[in-house]
Amino acid sequence: MLWLFALIAGILFGLYYALAALGLNLIFGVMRMVNLAHGDVIMLGGFAAVLLFDRLGINPLITVLLVIPPSLLVGFVAYYLLGTRVQRSRDPEMMSLVMFFGVSQVVEALAVIGFGNNEASITSAVFGSKPFSIAGQGVPGAWLVSAGVGLAALILLFVYLYHTGLGRATRAIMSNADEARAVGVNPDRISAITFGIGVGLAAIAGIFSLFMIGGTTPSEGVGLTVTAFAVIVIGGLGSPMGTFLGGIVFGLALMFTQTYAPVWSGFAPFAILLVIMLVRPTGLMGRSVRSV
Amino acid sequence: MDDSPALRISGLTRSFGGLPALAGVDLELRRGEVVGLLGPNGSGKTTLINVISGVYRPTAGRVEVMGHDATGSAPEGLVRLGLNRTFQTPRPFRTLTLRENVSVALRHGRNPGQSEDEILQLCGLGGKGNLLAESLNSSEQKRLDLARALATGPDVLLVDELAAGMRHDELDGAAELLRGLAAAGRALLVVEHLMGFVRQVTHRVVVLNAGAAIFAGSLEEASQDPRVVEVFLGA
Repeated sequence: MLWLFALIAGILFGLYYALAALGLNLIFGVMRMVNLAHGDVIMLGGFAAVLLFDRLGINPLITVLLVIPPSLLVGFVAYYLLGTRVQRSRDPEMMSLVMFFGVSQVVEALAVIGFGNNEASITSAVFGSKPFSIAGQGVPGAWLVSAGVGLAALILLFVYLYHTGLGRATRAIMSNADEARAVGVNPDRISAITFGIGVGLAAIAGIFSLFMIGGTTPSEGVGLTVTAFAVIVIGGLGSPMGTFLGGIVFGLALMFTQTYAPVWSGFAPFAILLVIMLVRPTGLMGRSVRSV
Repeated sequence: MDDSPALRISGLTRSFGGLPALAGVDLELRRGEVVGLLGPNGSGKTTLINVISGVYRPTAGRVEVMGHDATGSAPEGLVRLGLNRTFQTPRPFRTLTLRENVSVALRHGRNPGQSEDEILQLCGLGGKGNLLAESLNSSEQKRLDLARALATGPDVLLVDELAAGMRHDELDGAAELLRGLAAAGRALLVVEHLMGFVRQVTHRVVVLNAGAAIFAGSLEEASQDPRVVEVFLGA
């Protein structure tokens, strides 16, 4: 029943990858900015969880609640300091690549100074040492918690976007920022809130990267950004709900290759990415990101 | 009718790459009044609407909305002052439902005291609130554009070619709607090519040519004015 284990693990990892990519896609959808420092925020979320666990014994699930307020604040301030400059440039997408590449390098360097180069981790036994049984397959509790938080984040984001006034304004900007301004929406305010939410989601994903990827180091931000970017391109740039699908496809591809052909596990998810770019360039659920 | 102008523009000028698209346009619009903005293609009608509504900053001149200086204000700032517009080519929030489109405008504009469904009904879109905007035809998209603008509670409404593309049987309803908006105290500046519609809706007209206002008065007077006749007929 290897295939069943790969299927279950693929879905659980897919939900985690969706969580890891959700903030990146939300920011791109609203601001058309590619936040290359996204993976570095994930990395910082991991270090925050390790510090709070090691020094104060705080359970990583409690850390989820603790990282939200500072993340929202950091995202809000970062948008007004950096994002507004990007938005007012002639080519926001290119400007964002350059700007956030710089931010990524700075964050990584500061993380090395602050945390050193050693890997930091939390034992997965914090979520129970016995595996849970799903359809007869043993699954670590940490995987279930990570996937559960990913699913909860997706549902909460859906409720926010589709059932709140701020969420509707956010979707209005995603649809057409100029038109949103024409009905009184202040795009900077919505963008700052969105940036805060995006940073918060990344920080939460960082907490669970400790259990899904295994430990964190200052240099892992780049790889995490690449993974998150692959997930949102598969699902559809600018489509938060497509991120769910992209995460699942990425997770399944990873787990099936790790199960049946581990040598190819680093290849298959990105091969799928290339195929989707060739067959459906807008991603599985995406729309053209430039209006003609 | 309140005598103070709801919209006053003076000496409004806009150049693109040194070429003047608007050359010192003056215009006043009072509450309850519908003014038609006429002119041949390229005369500057939509540019004037774009400059007043904050899409373009004026090169020179002044815009006042309800007595407040609104020159160069961003669109969201103008909404707060009480001015909004519709677009020649509407661009609704395609992935939002009609009700959500209006809801965003209601939340971020000046509450006109009406619900989403009442505004949709007023604009002839009653019962379609749950449809996605991208499913509408072009005439319905124009109605949605108008509904969204009205949901911001404007005192001054700029209407850019609402009737273009509408079926004949829809025009009377659209004209009645605009007249009703003016009767409720709003000031309307209406860009339109259909003269029958202009006659039905407007109290007076301003004719633009090459970015300058060449005539202001009634439509009947305009049709006999040699400058206007020359512009339209090349006589």
